Amino acid sequence: MPETQVKPNSNNDATVHHESRRSKRSQQPARMQLNLTSMIDVIFQLLIYFVVTASFAAGEGIITAKLPQGTGGAPSKAEPPKQPLNIILSSAGTFGYNIGIQNQPAAPRDFEQLATMLEGLQFDPERGRSGAYKPDHPVIIKPAGNVRWQHVVNAFNAAITARYSNVSFAQATQASN
Amino acid sequence: MASKIFHRGPTSPEMNMTPLIDVTFQLIIFFMLVNNIIAEESVQMFVPQLANPKTREMGEMERIVVNVKPVEFTRNNRDMDEPANWDASAIGVKVGLRDFAVGDSEAITEALKQAVSESPRAEDGKSTLEVLLRADAAIRYDEIQPVMAAITAAQIGKIHLVAYMPDEGPGSK
Repeated sequence: MPETQVKPNSNNDATVHHESRRSKRSQQPARMQLNLTSMIDVIFQLLIYFVVTASFAAGEGIITAKLPQGTGGAPSKAEPPKQPLNIILSSAGTFGYNIGIQNQPAAPRDFEQLATMLEGLQFDPERGRSGAYKPDHPVIIKPAGNVRWQHVVNAFNAAITARYSNVSFAQATQASN
Repeated sequence: MASKIFHRGPTSPEMNMTPLIDVTFQLIIFFMLVNNIIAEESVQMFVPQLANPKTREMGEMERIVVNVKPVEFTRNNRDMDEPANWDASAIGVKVGLRDFAVGDSEAITEALKQAVSESPRAEDGKSTLEVLLRADAAIRYDEIQPVMAAITAAQIGKIHLVAYMPDEGPGSK
């Protein structure tokens, strides 16, 4: 029933056509213009925000390290056994540290001094170093279990600063205090 | 020809903004995505601040970050000059985007093995994946050492320790 009522309505073409012709004529001279200025303003604000916040982890860098010995992985192939240069770290107080170099009487006070002492122990004629250890001599950092990570990485950094190329970490030794 | 132009009257010069907007939107989308990834991967912590650091820029590489998470802190309750003066225990390990318990070495190894097997290969067939170990300055060595052992067990022979670059870090700001 409703279908028959639709037909006369759809025949009102004349009025629709008339209206569209009028609007076409009036629109043609004025070109449609979108005002983009405010949008660009907002977009630039967003862009600046994200550019600034993206440099989030900046300031951090990396030092490449070998992994601790004696924990899985294949053992290195038959190198002649060398007595490694052991750097022993123990904790002092809640977050302090003590440094020791095995078989060396003097103990370095801080990590800069440790680097200087390690340089003194190195044998490198090109740099005028006349110590007993070649730059590729194994250096092992042996921290006690309760030494803070900061000091462990610092000791590693000191060994790298002194240009030792074969530095690795030992398993945690039992804490003495 | 010339008279036709003058008939239209003075025209106002207009810049075509469309390519500019296109490029800007691309940039916004890029930084939004990158920002999300960085925020997901890096846990809030103070990495070690070194005396005379030999750290270098991370550069472009295929990487997976192993985070050893410290006890949560704010900038107010932690000593900025002495990052090591904080709770020494780790509360979790985050490998890439996945969280693990500190003692769960086997799962950490498994996750790393999977990451290595999915990573792109170099010409000699070796994986190009680099492992970054990011741990808080205050955490005890015996909490981090098992994580290093777990990385070793995944047949990874080399890691990069994350520390601050020279003149960066909480104490220098």
